[in-house]
Amino acid sequence: MAGSKSALVLCMDVGFSMSNSAPGEEPPFELAKKIVQKFVQRQVFAETKDEVALVLFGTDSTQNPLHQDDQYQHITIYRHLMVAGFELLEEIETQLRPESQQADWLDALVVCMDLLKTETDGKKFDRLNIVFLTDLNSPASADNLDAMIENLKKDGITLQFFLPFPVADNDKEGGGGRGEHQYPGHPGTGKGLSKEQKNSRDIMKHIMLNLDEDEGLEEIYTFRNAIEQLSMFKRIERRPMAWPCQLTIGSSLSIRIVGYKAVTEEKLKKIWFTVDAQTNQKDDVKRETVYCLDDDNETEVQKDDIIQGFRYGSDIVPFSKVDQEQMKYKHDGKCFAVLGFAKQSTVRHHQFMGNQVLKIFAGRDDEHAGVALSAVIRALDELNMVAIVRYAYDRRCNPQIGAAFPCIKEDYQCLMYFQMPFTEDLRQFTFPSLENNKKFTPSDTQLSAMDSLIDSMMLVEEDENGEKRDLLKPHHIPNPAFQRHFQCLHHRGVNPGTPLPPIEPWLKAALELPEVIRERCQVPLEEMKKNFPLTEVEKKKKLKTSAQIFGKDADEPDAKKVKGDEEEEEEYNLADIAEGSVTSVGSVDPARDFCTLIKKKSLPFGEVCQQLTHRIEQFLGNKNTQYYMKSITCIQAFREQSVKLGKADLYNSYLQSLKRSIPNRGLQVFWDLLVQDALTLISKDEVEGSTVSKSEANQFLVAEEKKEETAAPPAAEDPGDVDDLLDMM
Amino acid sequence: MQRGVTLFTSGDKPFRKPPAIETKLVRTCEAATEKRSTAALMAEWNTYYHNEDEEEEQEEGEQSTGDYKLTGRDSLVFLIDASKEMFIKGEDGEPSNFDMTMQVVRSVYTSKIISSHRDLVALVFYGTEQSKNPRNSFKHVYVYHDLDEPGAKRVQDVDALREEKGAKLAAETMGSGETSLGDALWCCSNLYSDIKLRLSHKRLMIFTCRDEPHGGDSTKDRQARTKASDLKETGVVIDLMHLMKPGGFDVSIFFRDIVSPPEDESELALQLEPCQKMEDLKKRVRAKEQKKRAIARLKLCLGEDIKVAVGIYANAVTARKPGAIKLYRETNEPVRSKTRTFHTQTGSLLLPSDIKKAQIYGKKKIVMERDEVDAIKKFDDPGLILIGFKPMESLKLHHYVRPSLFLYPEEDQVKGSACLFSALLTKCSERNVFALCRCISRRNVPPRFVALVPQEEVVDEGKVQNIPPGFNVIFLPYADDIRTLDTPQFPSASQTQVDKMKEIVSKLRFKYRSDAFENPVIQQHYRNLEALALDMMAPEDTDDLIMPKVDQIDDRLGPLVQDFKDLVYPSYYNPDSKPAAKRKPANIGGAAEKKPKLEVSEDELKAHVQNGTLGKLTVPVLKEACKLFGVRTTGLDKVHGIPGGGLSDNTPGLLF
Repeated sequence: MAGSKSALVLCMDVGFSMSNSAPGEEPPFELAKKIVQKFVQRQVFAETKDEVALVLFGTDSTQNPLHQDDQYQHITIYRHLMVAGFELLEEIETQLRPESQQADWLDALVVCMDLLKTETDGKKFDRLNIVFLTDLNSPASADNLDAMIENLKKDGITLQFFLPFPVADNDKEGGGGRGEHQYPGHPGTGKGLSKEQKNSRDIMKHIMLNLDEDEGLEEIYTFRNAIEQLSMFKRIERRPMAWPCQLTIGSSLSIRIVGYKAVTEEKLKKIWFTVDAQTNQKDDVKRETVYCLDDDNETEVQKDDIIQGFRYGSDIVPFSKVDQEQMKYKHDGKCFAVLGFAKQSTVRHHQFMGNQVLKIFAGRDDEHAGVALSAVIRALDELNMVAIVRYAYDRRCNPQIGAAFPCIKEDYQCLMYFQMPFTEDLRQFTFPSLENNKKFTPSDTQLSAMDSLIDSMMLVEEDENGEKRDLLKPHHIPNPAFQRHFQCLHHRGVNPGTPLPPIEPWLKAALELPEVIRERCQVPLEEMKKNFPLTEVEKKKKLKTSAQIFGKDADEPDAKKVKGDEEEEEEYNLADIAEGSVTSVGSVDPARDFCTLIKKKSLPFGEVCQQLTHRIEQFLGNKNTQYYMKSITCIQAFREQSVKLGKADLYNSYLQSLKRSIPNRGLQVFWDLLVQDALTLISKDEVEGSTVSKSEANQFLVAEEKKEETAAPPAAEDPGDVDDLLDMM
Repeated sequence: MQRGVTLFTSGDKPFRKPPAIETKLVRTCEAATEKRSTAALMAEWNTYYHNEDEEEEQEEGEQSTGDYKLTGRDSLVFLIDASKEMFIKGEDGEPSNFDMTMQVVRSVYTSKIISSHRDLVALVFYGTEQSKNPRNSFKHVYVYHDLDEPGAKRVQDVDALREEKGAKLAAETMGSGETSLGDALWCCSNLYSDIKLRLSHKRLMIFTCRDEPHGGDSTKDRQARTKASDLKETGVVIDLMHLMKPGGFDVSIFFRDIVSPPEDESELALQLEPCQKMEDLKKRVRAKEQKKRAIARLKLCLGEDIKVAVGIYANAVTARKPGAIKLYRETNEPVRSKTRTFHTQTGSLLLPSDIKKAQIYGKKKIVMERDEVDAIKKFDDPGLILIGFKPMESLKLHHYVRPSLFLYPEEDQVKGSACLFSALLTKCSERNVFALCRCISRRNVPPRFVALVPQEEVVDEGKVQNIPPGFNVIFLPYADDIRTLDTPQFPSASQTQVDKMKEIVSKLRFKYRSDAFENPVIQQHYRNLEALALDMMAPEDTDDLIMPKVDQIDDRLGPLVQDFKDLVYPSYYNPDSKPAAKRKPANIGGAAEKKPKLEVSEDELKAHVQNGTLGKLTVPVLKEACKLFGVRTTGLDKVHGIPGGGLSDNTPGLLF
């Protein structure tokens, strides 16, 4: 539960037996370490307030307050109780290693109990827990066992054991269900246990059963299983916020209710912030948005001088925020008012809108409301109806239309509220019928192949006892995006400078189809393949023009021009079908043509470059974002090829002249794009022959920006310098 | 297949026509007709409730199942008769045909402006005295508005042609003269050919009240027919809006050969009935029209090499107010924004390679490259991977995190897709199962599990599709998405109480339609905008369709409400008063238990609490106090929980 706080002692056996393992198997020590790591990792990334201590036993040294003479030897309190930070993770990663002693694990338990007792004194914890990771191979003296159990009970301390082997008859492995098949056979299963282990196991069982007769043994896990479970980062939990309101039917019937978000797509709490690549400092980076007129000078406009407007057909209507606020739709605020009731069958799952499910209960502690709401819920349930309601969270939020379904569970009743669409939200597309088209109508053989596929891939099965078993419940799987996110953060935090790790196997597996299904569906799938011929339609490879890449609708400042654009593309598409060989840099995909020509070497480098720059200049003449994009692609290709061939001069001189012409031709927008893509001069570092130093290259793009800011040059209405520019090539 | 009036073409159907509405709206006053008829329906509660079990689902004629992937702009030319006959007023001062037509044009203009402002509209008059057309090559044809995007100015132009003063203006500027429909059509065809844009749909609507425009001149008739067939050949759909004419309008005399033939025999009747079309045209639409476009094209993988091409469509997307455009205060011209990232100290512009991304956890700053941040989100290439099947009952209502999508095969990408898809659809729906898939909709988007729920096609008697065939894609929650709630327990209602509520429910039954409720926020916004753009004094009223019709509900329920309240609420109980437990919520433990409400003198109790002496009061005393005061909802038996010596911080259950 969010908001509560636990104190945990991780008590890990690092003694010599923990390093023993059968060939090819990971030693218990490594597994235990992984568990500890994963556990702490969860704590850190969930940013819990939980406090964690780490006690090691079997250490060469001894460090604990109970140590006296030969009592409590080889037990080390590695870390006292405190909130886990990243440094703990780093310490575990680098410092935790197997040692060569052995210690009585019951002694270690006492040290842990003592630690919990003394270090939680005066603080408030909802749970005290000791997590034991050991192979139980050390001798244990069960002398004061009963007193120990008494103390555990008295202090409300719970215990969890993590062992390299399952506890014989009470193997909890089944609980995991899925994933079992991935780890067949546990290292050192029950049979090969040493005498000490058997003895210790019995003591452990004794303790656990004493602490909790029914479920005590369920708190004993195997390493393998635990790693799998702990691999999951903590489920994101939020304290549910109560939304008290009144359900109203007409003017005089109201029922006090309280709503909670029950299902909603959780997002990560933190977002990425931008830092300077060199210093990693956030404060070194500043983002700024400026506004400018759409004229050739891009005259900057102060933020205060900006008002809002809205498109009204071909016009833009100025509509100030104040006016908007004054004229906008206003309502009375918080409400949950019934408009009427409708059949459940007319309100379909796929029509739900919004991003949440609310559960509506009767007002807190108000059993009259409880009875009244129960009457509503049960009436709806018995009639198979839903309430159509107007829902408004509060005055600031727009009201919604929604449906409240009855939900009756064994231990509670509630309404479940879903937002429903407004007229404006619906897009009633029609699709060609699949039934009436003979070409698409599957034959009986095809249908029966599909039937067997469905048979083989049913995820819900009845077992011998007639109980339903669902092999994959997505709502039991943690969001893999979060898991991956934390895995990478952890990795980067602990191993800076190394590449990100691959996705963890367990996570990959959790997203795959269950192994049983995979095996079972092989034959039906073969059958399907035979029966349903599928042929990829060979399409002329769509030419990726910048317009396609960047979206046609991007700006569309002048519709007619766009039309021209489309036509042109079509024309060239046709030309392209006849493709044959590229002989010059065309205007459809000049970058590609350019690269092809360079590769073919049929024309001299200089000439190909000139053809390319000619195209670029053509595009730039259009002053249209799509053409800018195309030009950028060209310049990119120009740069890449130049670097590849080690010829920087042509590119550099073109870029320099281009830069000089920017102010006069009103191409600031384009230049900004160039800057964004970091298309600067080719420096000496890249091509030996270049006369440009690295810092010059870096300054090249930046300097322009500054100049522009200080003195915006007056508009020189002279686009005629394109040719001059070309001549310079 | 085109039926009736299809203003909104390209296969999309922005609005269904609501069922059962009065159809003679053309002649009624504007205010009444311009209201969306669903609104009218909502208002009429009686129809509303009775409607429910009547199976007559009337679907509108505006449907097109033609090519559903059209792109480009729609275009519409109004070709309007400006002869004297058009200006004759009806009896009892009813507006003239011309006036009515202008209402329609205005309504279409204003609808288009909001729903699809990129569509092109033209307004052309024929049978005028004056001529005005691009090369002035046609006499008696007056192009009032060229084929272009409509705007405020045009709406005002049309307004100027309305009513008495409008007729006067028309007479002054255009006058009425000879008629040559052939010339008029030719002129219109030039309008189309002058357009350099790609037009997805070309429609021409003739508004006239003369069934013999050329008065029997067969040469002119022939010219008109020839020109009409030319137009039709270039893909223009010609529609006729014949208006009231004494003695009735005989389509067969002349116009049958002019208009585009219906594709379906059964539609012939529709063609002869103009009123419905007029009414449809006058219906105001204030919603953005959406072109049908797949939001993604993916492969649905049933196994290693069984990959079906599918398109994903969004059939419902939360509509928002259209985005604001930033304008320069002085000139009202749009401004552009430029965002730059620069170094705080040096002031130098930072390139994307100069920045990284970071987050802090456990007091440590963890830094990643920008592309790593994207890479983390990548699990696989986009696609739908079949995991298995489950019976429909495994899909719970509350398995919901975002609006569903719609899946339809893309035969032209992988041949055989439609057949396999169809088999999958048939079998899933026959066996009442859904397909569980892992879905990655776009590049660098983490996977989500989805349920593909089969949806079979439903067509009405007119073979018009009501529900398209395909799979609804329902997004399923992950464990993180489901919140743990403390579920309070309450006593269940008795059967008598439930039965009373059932009566209430039955009284307020209605037939829910997902398209019946407009968003008042958006509607208000559009009206405001209209008022500003058209210099109106005040915006039109918005009907808040999601406001409960309280009076009517009360009326229908009558004494039932009181009966129910008597059954569930004690006489002293007031659900509208603020609950007493306002200050500090009590722990819910045995709240279900019946107990009297307590209000000991608040101060007294407070004093006890402050002094920690509450525990000194015996439970019977407290209980007695409760009985005496019994209004507030204090959970008294929590007092049992007070340990011997007063209150500590964590003593649960006390309210002060």
